[in-house]
Amino acid sequence: MGEGILQVRQLAKVYPGAGAPAVDGLDFTVFDGEIFGLLGPNGAGKTTAISIICTLLRPTAGEVLLCSLDTARHPSEARRLFGLAPQEVALYPRLTARENLRYFGRLYGLAGRALARRIDECLALVGLDAGRDMRLDRFSGGMKRRANLAAAILHAPRVLFLDEPTVGIDAQSRNTILENLGALRRAGATIVYTTHYMEEAEQICDRVAVMDKGRIIAEGAPRALIDRVEGCANLEGFFLHMTGKNLRD
Amino acid sequence: MLTVWATIVKELTELRRDLSGLLVLLVMPMALVLIVSLVQDNVMRATGEAPIRVLFVDRDDGALGKSIEEQIRKAGGIELVSRWKGREPTEEAARRAVARGDIQFCIIIAPGTGEALRGRLRERAEASFVPAKGKRIKPAEGAKVAGLTLCFDPTVQGALRTAVVGSLQKAVLGIELKEEAAILGETFTKTVRKAFAERMDPLFSARAPELPEFVFRLDTDPVLTLSEETAGNGRMVKRPTAAQQNVPAWTLFGMFFIVVPLSGTLIRERQTGTFRRLMTMPVSRAGLLAGKVAAYVLVCLAQSALMLAAGVLALPVLGVPGLAFPPGWPAVLPIALAAALAATGYGILVGTLAKSYEQASMFGAVSVVIAAAVGGIMIPAYVMPRYMQEISALSPLAWGLSAFQEVFVRGGGLRTSCRETGLLLIFFALTMTIAWLSLKKYRSGD
Repeated sequence: MGEGILQVRQLAKVYPGAGAPAVDGLDFTVFDGEIFGLLGPNGAGKTTAISIICTLLRPTAGEVLLCSLDTARHPSEARRLFGLAPQEVALYPRLTARENLRYFGRLYGLAGRALARRIDECLALVGLDAGRDMRLDRFSGGMKRRANLAAAILHAPRVLFLDEPTVGIDAQSRNTILENLGALRRAGATIVYTTHYMEEAEQICDRVAVMDKGRIIAEGAPRALIDRVEGCANLEGFFLHMTGKNLRD
Repeated sequence: MLTVWATIVKELTELRRDLSGLLVLLVMPMALVLIVSLVQDNVMRATGEAPIRVLFVDRDDGALGKSIEEQIRKAGGIELVSRWKGREPTEEAARRAVARGDIQFCIIIAPGTGEALRGRLRERAEASFVPAKGKRIKPAEGAKVAGLTLCFDPTVQGALRTAVVGSLQKAVLGIELKEEAAILGETFTKTVRKAFAERMDPLFSARAPELPEFVFRLDTDPVLTLSEETAGNGRMVKRPTAAQQNVPAWTLFGMFFIVVPLSGTLIRERQTGTFRRLMTMPVSRAGLLAGKVAAYVLVCLAQSALMLAAGVLALPVLGVPGLAFPPGWPAVLPIALAAALAATGYGILVGTLAKSYEQASMFGAVSVVIAAAVGGIMIPAYVMPRYMQEISALSPLAWGLSAFQEVFVRGGGLRTSCRETGLLLIFFALTMTIAWLSLKKYRSGD
């Protein structure tokens, strides 16, 4: 598959005062054009890992190479290469969808007609062309999630990080978002995807990594992982087999 | 630069769509400035900046009442009211009006007071003339004259009461001096004639010319005059009005209230994950903060311009003297800018350190009220206890107020207000540095 577009090497993070590391020797590679699922129970270390990769946190050890660029050494350059759609609808409710995207686009250095064209493209991709001039606080939950995704792809990032992009929305909106991700993939985007919905991961991810206690405990294509465990019908069964049925909260 | 511009546009668009926020920012401080100026104008009138109204009940109906009236009118500062609710008040009615707080003072002259005063003064004058070797006539014990009463509302402040008592005593002393001088003239002539008659031979005394009559005329006006002047830069020709003191003070208070919407914006950004998104973008924290500061400074300046304009235009319509721009008015612009920066810096600091919107709005609002009270916005710092005055000197609102008063009240300019303006800028730099450092934890990957 060649050299990965995102290489995470022996990544570790110990929070001050914490007994155990939040991330402990994390090691994985994401290849160009694939959808990579990062799965794990609550407290597994997914958010910490994504935060380090997205240059929000400095790792205690290890390195992250994004398009061969060391993100810890060159955070500003790295930030131009990825986009993040956080778990929350990280947009301004009193602004319209277009105004929100215009603001984030300007922060990425886009301006003028190029920005206007890109906004139209992104809103069309997520099916929000009709609601472009509606205020976010008048959007439904699903529309907000789609606008959240549009803001993350505005600057055509090399890698897109999606942190539970379908949480709390109806089946129709979820389906639309998954279709949007399929379209992005066909357009050549590389996506790192975290979710608690195993059927989603099974449906759209090329490969997944299951994290627990800060480490990767399994990695591979969903079908291959399911086949590893006898009697396991789907990814959720594999996930529970690997992480156990005890509550983590 | 694009970050700053984009953030300014975004913040202003958000504010424009937030009607309640705009109300807090623009309309409420303007209403506050107008209401406080109207109220304070009345307070200034009641504390001596305008004539104090005193109900005058003259039951003596002789020359004494007229003399007191004349002396008080001449001295100024007190307006005697002799009719109450369309009629001459009785003593009881006057006391009731004061007890109810309808009027704060009344002067009552009891019947026969003038006569008793003249009798007592005559006794005193006669007792003053004794031969060098003769026996002095001792004035009767306790021969003071009662009958003049000053009745006051218990809510009246001490200084105001002292001022009215002082004016009345001065008037009474002038009247007594005049009366006593006239009686002294009569007594002198009578005493000298009597002494001559007793010592001269009756043969000659019949032929001797009559001694001239002496009249003592005393001018009770003081010879040593007291000239009043306003300390300062000497350019203010008029005494400051309530608007001159209050409009800049409450404008400053309104500007610092920007802490509530500004800190709220920052907290909402953190709570909705927008700030996390911003931190993953190729923008600097300083650029984002600069955009917010620029947007809210513009709002603060618009707010202060509106409040000052309300002071100039609306107050005269409401019947009180409006705000007058003194010769050094261009200094108002850098002072307002420094105050706007300090207020915005404080809002950003509160928004950065507070953990929830409730925490920020409560702490922000209460801390501004405390800083305003301590800083002399509500009551002047010079009437505070010594230790409070020392604390007052640490309030940014006190610096802003002092700088504004330098221009609006003392007639100074940029040069005389530069220390306070500089302190406001230092406060801004300090708050922004702390905010910038504390935001680092949201992007420690830098």
